[in-house]
Parts: sequence; structure tokens; C-alpha cells
Amino acid sequence: MRRIGFLINPVAGMGGAVGLKGTDGNVEEARRRGALPEAQNRAKVTLALLARESGIMFVTCSGPMGEDALVKAGVQNYQILYHYRGDSSARNTRQAAMAFKNAGTDLIMFCGGDGTARDIFDAIGRDLPILGIPAGVKMYSAVFAIDPITAAELIRSDDEPVLRDSEIMDIDEEAYRAGQLKVRLYGIARTPGSEGKVQIHKQVFEERDEERAKMEISRFIHEIMIPDVLYVLGAGTTTEAIARDIGVNKTLLGVDAIKNGSTVATDMNEKTLWDLLRQEHEAKIIISPIGAQGFILGRGNQQISARIVRRVGCGNIIVVATPHKLRETPVLYVDSGDSVLDAEFGDTVLVVSGYQMAQRKRIYQNETIQRKVKSSGTHENPDRPVT
Amino acid sequence: MQTKILLDEDQIPKRWYNVQADLKTPLDPPLHPQTQKPIGPEDLSAIFPMDLIRQEVTTDRYIDIPEEVQEVFRLWRPSPLYRAFRLEKFLKTPAKIYYKWEGVSPAGSHKTNTSIPQAYYNMKAGIERIATETGAGQWGSAMSFATMLYDLECTVYMVRSSYTQKPYRKSMMHVWGAECIPSPSTRTNAGRAMLEKDPDTPGSLGMAISEAVEDAASRKNTNYALGSVLNHVCLHQTVIGLECREQLAMVDDYPDVVIGCVGGGSNFAGISFPFAGDKLSGKHKDVDIIGAEPASCPTLTKGLFTYDLADEAGYTPLLKMFTLGHDFVPPSMHAGGLRYHGDSPIVSRLVHDGVMRAVSYHQGEVFDAAQTFARTEGIIVAPETSHAVKSAIDEALACKKTGEDKTILFNCSGHGNFDMSAYDAYYEGKLVDYEYPDALIKEAISRIPKIS
Repeated sequence: MRRIGFLINPVAGMGGAVGLKGTDGNVEEARRRGALPEAQNRAKVTLALLARESGIMFVTCSGPMGEDALVKAGVQNYQILYHYRGDSSARNTRQAAMAFKNAGTDLIMFCGGDGTARDIFDAIGRDLPILGIPAGVKMYSAVFAIDPITAAELIRSDDEPVLRDSEIMDIDEEAYRAGQLKVRLYGIARTPGSEGKVQIHKQVFEERDEERAKMEISRFIHEIMIPDVLYVLGAGTTTEAIARDIGVNKTLLGVDAIKNGSTVATDMNEKTLWDLLRQEHEAKIIISPIGAQGFILGRGNQQISARIVRRVGCGNIIVVATPHKLRETPVLYVDSGDSVLDAEFGDTVLVVSGYQMAQRKRIYQNETIQRKVKSSGTHENPDRPVT
Repeated sequence: MQTKILLDEDQIPKRWYNVQADLKTPLDPPLHPQTQKPIGPEDLSAIFPMDLIRQEVTTDRYIDIPEEVQEVFRLWRPSPLYRAFRLEKFLKTPAKIYYKWEGVSPAGSHKTNTSIPQAYYNMKAGIERIATETGAGQWGSAMSFATMLYDLECTVYMVRSSYTQKPYRKSMMHVWGAECIPSPSTRTNAGRAMLEKDPDTPGSLGMAISEAVEDAASRKNTNYALGSVLNHVCLHQTVIGLECREQLAMVDDYPDVVIGCVGGGSNFAGISFPFAGDKLSGKHKDVDIIGAEPASCPTLTKGLFTYDLADEAGYTPLLKMFTLGHDFVPPSMHAGGLRYHGDSPIVSRLVHDGVMRAVSYHQGEVFDAAQTFARTEGIIVAPETSHAVKSAIDEALACKKTGEDKTILFNCSGHGNFDMSAYDAYYEGKLVDYEYPDALIKEAISRIPKIS
């Protein structure tokens, strides 16, 4: 019998419907504007599909944070582990997640947005897999299933779940409401993926598991590293694996630099990185797409700013990602804050996805900017990841 | 308007054409993997019959096809040459497109053109059993068919990823009495070593060749057979191009462009060598000969022309060819038959010398071309063949731009009836555009043994 922890952020998504760009700290205003709780309806779709699964026992929270949706969906096999009173808060989410973990839960399924994902991750980190039923206003994190039905399919699978790394993103709510998107990488959780069950059978060819792919990427990148060149490693577990292969430690969420097999700097901010690059003759940047949408620049790697990229050169950026990550991000994005620089990346980019192997991936390009750049003659198509 | 251009059975070629006779400079000799000195016939006699060894090295322009082999060829040869009127109309091109349809053979591809003579010469030499490898399964099924005809046993080491992808290919081999096992296997030292190094490897042609060579070398009654790359294999395939030349002459035509897909190079050699001979002799010096290969395994377009091993474990001689390095494991793409790190030494030499050229394509675009072909001409081609279709379409569209009415000939080397899962993946948007990281090629090539 699998124990699935289930919780809802009852107010998730309310702000979006009434133009508040997020619900955190704005519930009353959302209600005043006539917003209705939507998360329960989203969760009900998933739960109804799981209601008759005899091999699943849900552990949940009382009332709107879990029990109500389970009852409405016809789930009978559940146990309430966490009780609360009044309106739910982020603290309740964290406490509930901790209670699920202490009760020996196999996985936590939640219905909410980025804020809910962040609260759960705060409580349990990478100790338990997390799967999100999308219901929030902002879902830049990669822990969400594509839709509520897919979430059910992932839970229902008879196969041993294939876990993949998934980024939890932190959005600056104030800036967001002011029209600015400031997203940073908050953490890297583990999420069940569908490739073991669905993709191999449909795609037929074998895909390697994520850890194996990271090892292959690391081995390849290590082999092609050139002496006396500074390598800037962006955030994420793939770049961390590269550092591990080289024999150095890397900060998981930070931007570090390596040269001749040794760490030169760790967890640099944009200014530190800029100062370091000014001392170097040659540098390359190794980065991995971040978040549910697959941003090469602009989400989670903000330390690598437009001026940093210009200093190093688009042609000296090596993009790395596992086949699993690439499968979930059919189009990659670049948002360095400099639209002309973004356009210089061209229509496609080569992403190293294994040992001596890469995939050609499309980059989303704003057509207006593209035309502007092409007419100004500054367009380059850096279809090679390194020089 | 003649759609099918057909030869009579008595017009099956009586001789193979050997392009080695017309090379401006002779091929670099194969080298012994240990001594790195040129090998002699005795070095090959442990795994090949003497007739095939002679064909491997001869510079005679024509080699007689044994009557017994011609007799079997009558089952499907001469194969039809089609004028692709419907494709031309769809493309609105002034070009004339012809395709040689090799999918009519019992095994469904060109591979039987060499499996029959190879099995025949082995039978004549008193060999009782053949060990061989197969990538996508076309060669394995073709050799299973041939060994059955000559009452030989046959063991096929099939690249593991294809073994899983194409279960019906191994069923064909079973029908014809052969044994098919996934490679790497635990049956050979080479296979065990590869599995120890990487238990989850999808396998590669290089690995499967090592297993089959070891199997053959360690048993007296067993010889090895290779479905591509080697000179005698390319020689046997020239029946394709020889027939094409006759068929085109029947409609008073000659190709401006000749196209084949390239893995090890045998079907490309088959359709193109007779025309390459015309080019080398100055008879038709402007014919454009194009090999179409996958971007994920771009041997001719991105490889280095140098000596390299033909297999993973290092049992085979070093061949001078375009190579990505013998330890290169291409991704498990659908065109499994094109997943080979090297290329035919003769094809390599001709590309190197500018007699032929090569282009590379991603998976997605070749399936687009295959779909167009299926919806105009009706034939659902193998993923390997779709590379040639794509190149032919590109050439025809180039003619549309320039207004030229070129004659384009391509080898439609096999059907895709066992590749429906690949087409499913295409329609589900699941095809991955794998690509060899070209800029990093120097690092990959650095592992090739250095020859002084």
C-alpha cells in the first residue's frame, strides 16, 4: 500500500482570476474582487481518477486543505494527519508536509502554485518526491504535472516511479505585481516523471535514466575542457555533476567558476563574476535550462547577466541538459534582459545531452525583435556550443 | 509516361563492377590492429572464405557473378526502377525523379544482394555456420534468408536497441532458421566486457561486429559475414547501379544526381559506384553523387579521414576511412542501420577525393520527407532510406528554384513495414533531433589509435 500525502492550498489561483498576479498576501483582496476557490476543482479531477485505486492510502489535512476535496472526489481510503483551524497559511502547509514525512509517506501530491511548492520544499527538501497539480497563478517551478489528469496517471502508474530533478522557483511577489519578473532558483526537488512508463514504449528507442545521462554529460564536458580556460558553471544538478566529475564541489544553486580542474570562485553574484571575467583571457559558460519552461538565461541564472554573456560571447556558452529535461521543454527560452542579445542566440541551440551527443533545440524568438536584429546586421547564429 | 521501367530476368547483371579498378590512386591497405602493418590474405582467412578475400583486394574491373547466385537473384531481380511522377507533381519541380526500389527482395531491402553471394562462397568453402551482426535487422534477416538457402546455420548479434525496437525483424530471422541474440551479450568475451563497462548500453554496430568476429574466430566451422563497409560487400551491391544504368538507358536518360543513404555505405555504393566509374573515366564527369547520413552520426560530413578500427573491441583490421572514433556510440535513433562510426573505405576515398559528397539530416526532417513520399508514391520507406528521400526532395526543390530539369536518381533501399513505431513517434511529436556536437569533434577523434 502506497501512502500519498495530499494537501491543497485552498486559495491557490484565486488572485490570477481577478488580475492580482498571485494570491500570496492578497486573499482578502481577491475575495473582495469576487474570486472563488478554484484549487479544489482542479484537485477533484485528479482525485476522482485515483478514487478507486486500492493500492493507495491518502494521508491529508482536515477541511479545505485536503479532506473536503477527497470526500467530494469519492476517495474513501484516507487518513487525516494534520488538523488546523481558520484560514490556512504557509505555516500550515509546511507543518502538514512535515507531518506527512514523519508518517512515512512515499510522495506528497499538492494542488497549488509556486508558493505552495516552495513551502513544501522548505519542510521536506529532497527527502520525499513532490508532485504538483497545477492550480496557482504562477507555475515556473518544474514540479507540476502538465495537467490534473497527467498527475493522476503519474500517481497511478504500476511501475516504480522514475524520479527526476525539478527546480523550485522563487518569484519576487512585489516585483511581479509591479510588472517585473524576478525569478530565482530556490531549490531542486524530486518529482516522478513519465518517461519510464510512457515515453520509452511510445518513442521506442531507449533513453537513459537521468543520473546516467548526467554522468555521460559530465564525462564528455570534462574531456573537452581546455587548460587555462575559465569555466563558469551555472546552477543546477547537471552542472553540479560536471563539477563532481572534475573532482571539485559546486554550490547547487549558485554560479561557480573552475579553471584547470580547481575551483576559482563559488556562489558568485553578478558583480563578482564580472570582476573575475575581466581578469581572464578566455572563458566559457556551462548552463542548463531552468524551470518548467526551460530558460537558458533569465530564470535561476540571473548572475549570468547580459553583459556577462557579451563578455564571454554567445559562442562560448555550452548548454547542457538531460534528455528527460529536454523532452519536457520542446522550446527553450532566453531572457537575459537584453532583447537584442537574446535574438543573437538564433533560432536553435545545440544542447549537450550525453557523451559525444547533443540535441538541436528550438529557441523561442520574438519575431519583432528578430526582424529588428536582422535588419541591423548584428544577428549571429551561434549554432556551435563552443569555439 | 512510363512509371515502372523493368528489365527482363535475363538482363540481371552477369558481372559486378569493381570501382577499385578506376580509382586514381589505390586504396590504403588495411592494417593489423596489433602490428599496424598491412594485413595479408592469411590474416583474414580465419573468418572469411578465400573467394571473398580475393574480391576484397582485387583491382579487376569486373567480377563474374556465379550462375548459382544469379539463379537466386531471379526471385526479385531485376528490381524495378520507378519514375516518381506523383512526387514530382507534388513538389512542382521540373526535375525528373527516379528511384530504384530494392524493397522487393524477400528480406525487404538491398541487403540480400550481398548476403546471397556471401553465403554461397562460404558454403563452397565448406563452412557450416555464419556469425554476423545486424543494426536495424535488415542485414540479419537478409543473411538468415541466404544461409537458409545454402543450408548453413546462422547466429545474428543484433544491436540491443534495435532488438527491442523491432521485434518482427528477429521473428523473420527465426522463420528462416537463424538464431538472433541481443548485443552486447554474455556469449562472448567482448560482449561481457562491454556489459561490465556499461550494463545499460543500447549497443552499437561496432560492439555487435566484435561479438560476431570473436564467435567466428573461435570456431572452426564458422565464418564471419559483414553486411556493409567492406569492399566485397560494396562490389556485390553494384548490381543496383548497373541495372539502373540499363533501365535509364531504356528511357534515354542518365542521372545528373545520384543519391543513397549512408551508414556503412553499401547501398550508396551499390547505386553509385557504376556512375562514379563513369565520372572517374571522364565519360560523365559532371554527375553529382550524394550520400545522405544522419546528423547524429555524421561520419562523412563531420568525421576524420584516418585509420580506425572497424569494431569496438579491436578485433578487426584498421581501415582508412571517415570515422567518428570506434568507441563512439551513436544515440538510439530510429535509423538503426545508419548507426556506424565509420564508413566504407572506398566510399570514404571517393568522398575524400571529391568524386562524391555528403549531406546530413536530423530525424524530424527525414520523416517529413518519408511522409511526403508515402503520400505521393505510396511506399512507406525504412527510416534509413528516408535520408535518401529527403536528399532527393531537396535536390528537386533546388531545381524548382533554378528551373533546371535535372535527372535525379536515388536508391529506395528498403521498406519501413517493421518501423511503424518510428512513424508513431513521429506523429506523436516524440522524435528527437540528435546531433553530433561538431565543434567538439576534435576531442572525440583524439581517441583514435595513432598510426605512424
